[in-house]
Amino acid sequence: MTDIARSPGFSRPRLQLPALELDVKLLLPLLVVAVLIAFFSVTTESFATLRNFSTIAGQAGTLLIVCLGATFVILMGSIDLSVGAIVLLVGALTVTVLNLTGIGVWVLPLAALFGAVLGLLNGSVYALSGIQSFVVTLGSLSIFSGVALQLLQGRAIQFSDAAFENLAIGQLIPSLPNIALCGLVAWGVSVLIASRTRFGRYMYLIGGGEQVARTAGVPVRRYKIYAFALSGLLAGLGAALAVARLGAAGPSLGSDLLLNSLAAIVVGGTSLAGGSGGPHRTLIGVLIIAILDNGLNLLGVSSYTQMIIKGAVVIAAVVASRVELRNAVVK
Amino acid sequence: MTQPLLDRTPFFVADGLSKRFGATRVLDGVGFSIPEKSVVSFVGENGAGKSTLFNILSGVVEPDAGTMTLGGKPYRPRHYGDAIGVGVSRVFQEQALVRNIPVYENLLLGQDDGFYRAGQFVDRAAMIAAAQRIADEAGIDVDVRRRTGSYDFSRRQSIEIARACLAPSILGDIAQPLVLLDEPTSALDQRDEDAFFRLVAKVRQRGSLIFVSHRLSEVLSVSDVIYVLKDGALVARLEAGEADERILHSLMVGRERVADYYFEQRQKVTDAQPVAVEVAGLSSPGAYEDISLSIRAGEIVGIGGLLDSGKSRLGKGIAGVEPPATGTVALVGQSPVHPEIGAFIRAGLGYVPAERLVEGIIPSQKLSWNFSLASADLFSNRLGLWRCQAEVEAASRFIGSLAIRSGSPNQPLSKLSGGNQQKVVLARWLQRQPDVLVLDNPTRGVDAGAKEEIYRVIRDLTDRGVAILLITDELLELIGLSNRILILQRGRIAAEFAAPADTKPSERELVAAMLSVPDEPGPHGAAAISTSDPVQYSESAHA
Repeated sequence: MTDIARSPGFSRPRLQLPALELDVKLLLPLLVVAVLIAFFSVTTESFATLRNFSTIAGQAGTLLIVCLGATFVILMGSIDLSVGAIVLLVGALTVTVLNLTGIGVWVLPLAALFGAVLGLLNGSVYALSGIQSFVVTLGSLSIFSGVALQLLQGRAIQFSDAAFENLAIGQLIPSLPNIALCGLVAWGVSVLIASRTRFGRYMYLIGGGEQVARTAGVPVRRYKIYAFALSGLLAGLGAALAVARLGAAGPSLGSDLLLNSLAAIVVGGTSLAGGSGGPHRTLIGVLIIAILDNGLNLLGVSSYTQMIIKGAVVIAAVVASRVELRNAVVK
Repeated sequence: MTQPLLDRTPFFVADGLSKRFGATRVLDGVGFSIPEKSVVSFVGENGAGKSTLFNILSGVVEPDAGTMTLGGKPYRPRHYGDAIGVGVSRVFQEQALVRNIPVYENLLLGQDDGFYRAGQFVDRAAMIAAAQRIADEAGIDVDVRRRTGSYDFSRRQSIEIARACLAPSILGDIAQPLVLLDEPTSALDQRDEDAFFRLVAKVRQRGSLIFVSHRLSEVLSVSDVIYVLKDGALVARLEAGEADERILHSLMVGRERVADYYFEQRQKVTDAQPVAVEVAGLSSPGAYEDISLSIRAGEIVGIGGLLDSGKSRLGKGIAGVEPPATGTVALVGQSPVHPEIGAFIRAGLGYVPAERLVEGIIPSQKLSWNFSLASADLFSNRLGLWRCQAEVEAASRFIGSLAIRSGSPNQPLSKLSGGNQQKVVLARWLQRQPDVLVLDNPTRGVDAGAKEEIYRVIRDLTDRGVAILLITDELLELIGLSNRILILQRGRIAAEFAAPADTKPSERELVAAMLSVPDEPGPHGAAAISTSDPVQYSESAHA
């Protein structure tokens, strides 16, 4: 895990954005990562081992990929509550297709396509109807979950395809599960998209001032749809990899993603108000949530207590970002 | 200051009220007094400081300097609630009624403390009775139990005026209310207007009213005292008997116009130039109606009018930011189309909005991002990759050529002054070398130095043959820059003035054209409303 945190990709955005600004804003989340690692290393014996870090990386892979797409949506000032449900539905579709056709690893692009279509649905309803995104995606959350649970008949469906499983649990780089490697690649691409493409720029502009963007002729509606489609695509990809890692798709797949993805994005420092932050920061947020999950498990904290802690962390992160914002204005 | 009215005790006194917003001084040492039981009016151009004065009096804005006393006691409200507490109430220009609740709840809003029994239970019968008393006293014909939204705009305005005028004295223990009325009659139809003036007379027996209106004849008929505001300072105080419309007009305007400031010697005759924009039959219900105009290459066509004239909406309609209901716009060498901003920008149009902080810039984001906002076609390639290097270089070029002070491409735009922010907005369009520019109040909130630089840029653009539509609240700017001036009144072109460099129209002429009574009723005219009113009437009678 330390390898991930210090991987060269980590410093890449620093070259593209003004160095000073980024360092100050990243300081707090990085400090939290350090404190968490130190705390769990002292309080548990099994935390600071290569084996455990490898486990954390495996657990965090899906969360990272799903969060990246959702980050663009939040950057744009909207919210996608349906990512967990998309993961569940695409996961169910993935095992079904695998068991029916045996196309093996080729199910991965298909899963991404499924996800993108679901995202496209979200985005179209949102952008064309003008209903708030949280309402639209809350509704689609229920719809997607319902379809998925019917597909699964409420049971976990297994599959056996070694090549496909290897996509997630194999280790191209020793001790780094492939699912985490995929996550890092997706992260690199996302950072590039955010900082170096028209799509990325429009996300910042729409989030910072939708009316300004519209007045200047930016096709706001179209790009809103694109953002939700991208969010769905990455959720679909994450779903396929999660299924590959677990060897099955069950009714509880993706159920913790709603809270965890929001928590990771906000803790990383992307503002829910839109217009500031970005996928480069989401990596740190995902680290914080993954370490917290893993460490609390090792400490033997009950999952109910964990829910309480994570909820508090999200609220604290939003409060902290507001304080930061106020300071920025005062300065 | 020894007129007979002042024999009455001054009920409200203001002294040295001043307010700045950034570099702009909006109010400068304004002092006045309001006698007991009187009607005092403030008149002035758009931007003379009337709204800011009202905001200070009602606690919405705090003055930078100055004192106020009400009934002999110091008065310094921190927010509107403080003002209401001591009997100062206000009718805002935008309606502050909740539409989905009955009229009586609106009439008692914020004054309903006396109607709770045992803490939480509402004594509905008592509320309805009290509200009905207010409505009866005000002479407006409403059933207070009906939903507020079921009454038309004019009647709702009456309800709001009745609340401001009567609620403090009927419900509270306010002996002498002070009521601030901001353009109260602009939305009233004839019947409600009569009721309004009866109400004014009634309130005057108890307290005082302050009145702001563009309708000078109305001001003259109701006021005891008239103050004239110009550029944030009081320039005259007149008793009711000694004023007439002509005197008020000349006091409201009449500034020194410096031809050099607007580079008038650079203004060209453009009659022989080809037409660059042809607007035909543009209409948007409730905003403007059947507007046709054309602008030649290198020509500046100015549009003036009061705040409710619809001139800003017209600018948005022509640029396609808020596409009109019907009508077409043809840009140079293209066929007439329904305006749409995205397509128009690619076809060579640029639009500078009036509300800079809401529509013009994203203050929290970088200068270069704000600069390239409308130019994704120039700064990204076919794959959608952004050319960051080219963007920063282009932004730096304009920082130099427009003298955008203390600007660097990576700085958030919020760190720059209003004038320099506006130059960034201009640079956004200059970069695209447009054929047509629509400018809505391009120098609003901009200091004098930056103003002059913006005027120079505008002249440079006309030299290059850019056609410019200039919408502005500033009369001098309108006169100084324009080749031709159109005056809009309630969404229709009411007058057209040629404004060649040597024979510019005067401010007086333009103001008179803005205020004159139109021959035919406009979209908000009496004819439009009276048709719906009898229906309203019978419905409430049977309810």
